[in-house]
Amino acid sequence: MADVAHITHLLRRTEYVAKPDRVAYLAGLSLAAAIDDILAVPSNDIVLPSSLTVRNVAQNQQQQAALTQWWLDRMIEAPKPLAEKMTFFWHGHFVSGMTKVNEAFLLARQNRLYRSHALGNFHDLTQAMALDPAMLLYLDNADNESGSPNQNFARELMELFTLGVGNYTEADVEAAAAAWTGYGINRTTFAFEYHADLHDDSLKLFMGVVPAARWTGPQIIDHILLPNSATALITAKFVVTKLWEYFAYQSPSPAVVDPLATGFATDWNIKSLLKALFMRSEFYSVSALQGMVRNPVEWVVAVMYQLGVRSAQLTPDQHLAAMGQDPLDPPNVSGWRPNGYWVNTSTMGARSTFARNAALVAPFSNLVNVSAMTIDGAIDAVCNRYDLQPISAVTRSAMTVLVSSQRAAQPGTWESLNLTTLAMICPEMQAI
Amino acid sequence: MLRHDISTAQAVSALSFSDTSPAGYDRRKFLQMIGMGIGGTALGSVGGPLLDGLLSNQTRDAWAAGPIGPHDGVLVIVGMYGGNDGLNTVVPYSNGKYYDYRGNLAIPQNQVLQIDGNVGLHPNLTFLKSLYDNGQVAIVQGVGVLGPNPDLSHFSSMATWMSGQAGSPTTGWVGRWADGLGGASDLFQTATVGSAVPLHLVGASKRGTAIPEEGVDFGGGTDPDDQRMNDAIRQFAATSGGRGTWHDAVAMVERGQIEVAQTVAPLFVDTLPDSEISKKMTIAARLINADLGLRVIDTSWGDFDTHAHQPYDHGQRMLELDAALAQFFSTLDGRFSSRVTVMTFSEFGRTPWSNDSAGTDHGTANSHFVIGSSVRGGLYGQQPSLLNLRRWDRMQATVDYRSLYATVLDGWLGGGASAVLGGNFENLNIFNAPGTGGIGTPPPGVQFSDFVGITPTRIMDTRSGIGSSRSPLAPSTTRSVQVTGQGGVPATGVMAAVLNVTAVGATGPSFFTIWPTGTSRPVASSLNVAGGDVVPNLAIAMIGDSGRVNVFNSTGSVDCVVDVVGYFLDGSAGRYTSLTPERILDTRIGLGAARATVGPRAVIDLQVSGRGGVVDDADSVVMNVTVTGPTETSYITVWPTGQPMPTASNLNMIRSQTAPNLVVSKLGAGGKVSMLNDAGRTELIADVLGYFKAGVGARLTPLAPQRILDTRIGVGAPLSPVAQTPLALAVVGQGGVPAGGVSAVILNITAVQGSSGTYVTVYPSGEARPVASNLNVDAGQIRANLVISKVGSNGAVELFNDKGAVHLIADVVGYFTDGIG
Repeated sequence: MADVAHITHLLRRTEYVAKPDRVAYLAGLSLAAAIDDILAVPSNDIVLPSSLTVRNVAQNQQQQAALTQWWLDRMIEAPKPLAEKMTFFWHGHFVSGMTKVNEAFLLARQNRLYRSHALGNFHDLTQAMALDPAMLLYLDNADNESGSPNQNFARELMELFTLGVGNYTEADVEAAAAAWTGYGINRTTFAFEYHADLHDDSLKLFMGVVPAARWTGPQIIDHILLPNSATALITAKFVVTKLWEYFAYQSPSPAVVDPLATGFATDWNIKSLLKALFMRSEFYSVSALQGMVRNPVEWVVAVMYQLGVRSAQLTPDQHLAAMGQDPLDPPNVSGWRPNGYWVNTSTMGARSTFARNAALVAPFSNLVNVSAMTIDGAIDAVCNRYDLQPISAVTRSAMTVLVSSQRAAQPGTWESLNLTTLAMICPEMQAI
Repeated sequence: MLRHDISTAQAVSALSFSDTSPAGYDRRKFLQMIGMGIGGTALGSVGGPLLDGLLSNQTRDAWAAGPIGPHDGVLVIVGMYGGNDGLNTVVPYSNGKYYDYRGNLAIPQNQVLQIDGNVGLHPNLTFLKSLYDNGQVAIVQGVGVLGPNPDLSHFSSMATWMSGQAGSPTTGWVGRWADGLGGASDLFQTATVGSAVPLHLVGASKRGTAIPEEGVDFGGGTDPDDQRMNDAIRQFAATSGGRGTWHDAVAMVERGQIEVAQTVAPLFVDTLPDSEISKKMTIAARLINADLGLRVIDTSWGDFDTHAHQPYDHGQRMLELDAALAQFFSTLDGRFSSRVTVMTFSEFGRTPWSNDSAGTDHGTANSHFVIGSSVRGGLYGQQPSLLNLRRWDRMQATVDYRSLYATVLDGWLGGGASAVLGGNFENLNIFNAPGTGGIGTPPPGVQFSDFVGITPTRIMDTRSGIGSSRSPLAPSTTRSVQVTGQGGVPATGVMAAVLNVTAVGATGPSFFTIWPTGTSRPVASSLNVAGGDVVPNLAIAMIGDSGRVNVFNSTGSVDCVVDVVGYFLDGSAGRYTSLTPERILDTRIGLGAARATVGPRAVIDLQVSGRGGVVDDADSVVMNVTVTGPTETSYITVWPTGQPMPTASNLNMIRSQTAPNLVVSKLGAGGKVSMLNDAGRTELIADVLGYFKAGVGARLTPLAPQRILDTRIGVGAPLSPVAQTPLALAVVGQGGVPAGGVSAVILNITAVQGSSGTYVTVYPSGEARPVASNLNVDAGQIRANLVISKVGSNGAVELFNDKGAVHLIADVVGYFTDGIG
């Protein structure tokens, strides 16, 4: 039988919130079995609405909003939300964004691609992303032509998607850029299209491989990700570190990363890697338990779940940019940072605005009605309902300040509304 | 593809100022970081009555925004993220190579806005050109990272630019500059307009505030419902949650969000432009107009990463920049037009050769603008050579990017470039000499001040009408006194003055508050009087507008006498070295003078230099002088030996009273001071606390007084009188004192409601308690004395009470630091 506190922590990190029925069920299993259950994501159980994956120039912005809303609701409702959590991870890793791509349907198709590989094979995912039309536009490879190569994709492939800066040379960037010439899109259908006439088929020297060869683009990825090679290990450490920081805490030690990376560089199996990651004792350490600030998407999903409201009622897509995280428009090709990046006076103000809106929009029957309760009883009820336990003494004192002053000035409905707002804002809701 | 976030997956370790912990801060530093300069125990009482009836006053929160100083320059940073194409911004239109390499991306000669015969601006920069024609734009060419192989990654390169230091940066250049300023009003010292705080605004103890570009919603309201919610959110930060640094970080920032919202909400009432950079720069101008004390405001936008489709995209960015500058300067209030400099930056330039996507790739050297009425317009730096560049060759930078920062730091932000940048970089001398920039340009800069001791001069005496009407101060009235231009005090450039203030003939219990004119009266007392007696106290007072300070009398009627004994200004004058107190005069035992009481009109010449740690060539000394057992009502005057005796008193006493006072005196001939007793006979004791000497030691940063201890209400310590266990009072990070680099603090200590006659000794925490008294008080009496104390290694001072139980109050009025400068 797994420890209830461990299961609660695991669920908050993998499924956005620790839903009571999930806690009850998984706590009856061993930790390994509980992790297997979380990882048992049904394949192809959802289909993106076709209205989102077809080009519609007149409705481009509406498609973007609809995709964002659909995705956020999916995060709340998916029986196994880890699929969405990982889809979002790959979106932040193999980044594309609306500002540059400006075709919402391509981002929807890309979203579908992330999801189909979310717990699959990293090598396959990398190859698929290189030929994804949104990516080809975002990093300009659609304009990468023999005789005048565009280095953008080739550089970021190595700097941000696989090796990390410092593990390749400018000559490697030039060779890789040449290798990727000709991999473009059909400007009518927006499908991937290989243009042999635009491909530089000359001999290239890449990463010191002799003799020089006529490298193709996919061969560049095959070389970097050749199982157990030096470049594969570097890449594996890079990706494992990023995943650990996404689920547990920042700056993991080599003792945590290296064993996971060694396994990952062998088969690139994402699900196996996550199983090993969640089994590590460090994942349940104090560093991990106090290691994360919910990013804006995760926090919005938690709020909407707890208050029983959905995107159509709250339009979170219109609030997330002010929180620093417009889901379909990462700030740059390196994606989003964790933790402190989200904690400033601008972004926290935007969260509080959203929390207040959520409490007001939610049906009152969804909230804990505290008007007949003692102040302590009200606080206990709210914290139990909204997955905030164990609540800190100082947060309890803040809630006491609010309920007592509200009760003195204007008892009744507003006690429940304002206490709910405060509960959505409180540090226990933000830092998990 | 860079916008407001510059950090990077790979460079997370290099850039992650806040990714591993809240900037690696412990809780105390974190409190200070976002501007809560007072400790957790005090937070709960903010918003409620801070003070009892005797010292009742308006509350003024520690993070309250204040005006910028009279000499402060303001810097607005415009980040062009993605790598602006400098060659198409400042076009070398006479250079044939430019047209060879650039093909159809080149700006035709006849469209360039010509600067001279060689270079001109992008055709869309018409407003900027008009500023250039007015001599207000410095164009710096060839700026970049020197050396053969600059990094071409957006992220590493942006990290390099933002940090302003080599290696793995965890702080940025503006942040480190702010660290050096000290002070605690961090919420309104540097800010970014946007939703992420960029690395350059992150220091070791300071961090920029984020002002949301879409305006504040939550937290900005003032009706009772809003206030209840705001008070509850403030309470999140009352103490640590005990749930890790992130929990506490969220709590503190949520509290800061309320304070920011309350402050800036009015700035968003008027509509704003739609374009991102115009909107941000308009907000920046409004923030400056509001005079919140902000010294650096960061704005940025993009995308400048024009790998493809450059002619249209880059042209749009240039239009946006030009419109934003026009909007900024038209919004800026005339009061500040000579106080603001705008500078651009970007992570790199672009390749000289265009690619076949009608774009350019990541390059190196770039051109940047420094704009303002104090700027000497013209061309600076050197355009890199375009000769013999092949397809992927980049230009060689000619000006180190840190030269741009050094120029702005030393020329506009008051100095500190070499410390901030970790080395000396060429100052491009872009700025006019102080005071000669625009109409009425004040010299930007002075943050630290040096001491000049003078022979005491009386500048106010309400009994005789000196510097004031000839009438006592009425209850609850304020009278101001001119300090600059009086006696030996210069008319300009004075930051603070050392005043000996004496209350004479009070009709009942009262207190004085002394603070700079033009600012709100703080919650602090400078001197307490019981009634009937003559009570002096030394005061170190920031100088307000027109060179004056205010004197407030709380109750009853009282005469006020003010002697100025020195002043602080920038220059080559003295800096302070604090010493552990040591007694150098005690007539009761024959120390420093004959073992005999000092008679009427008798003068002791006390050797100070070479004793108690005071060096031979010290300029001035700081001593605590105490009389004990006086036989008559009398006063003591202290002045530099060899100078005429001034009309001034340092210490007043009545018969049998033990009375101390802090004395600052210039040293006279032979390193001595002379001390006169006016009437009767008395024992005289002097404890040396420190000295001033040119070019050596710490520099003073004066503060508007702030209360950091009041045991009557539990501020800074538990609500309990102090018995014979020394009270450790944390001073660094409190009340405007920075968290690091502080060598000594200046406190006004008040003792009240004592159960018996006693004395109080203030000394550095962790050191042995010296034989010295800072304050002597009778049972039930209220007495204040200025104290300068070294700070212990733990950032605290100890307050020791000799007998009985007494309540203690401490107001911090300044601190000494070895800070940048």
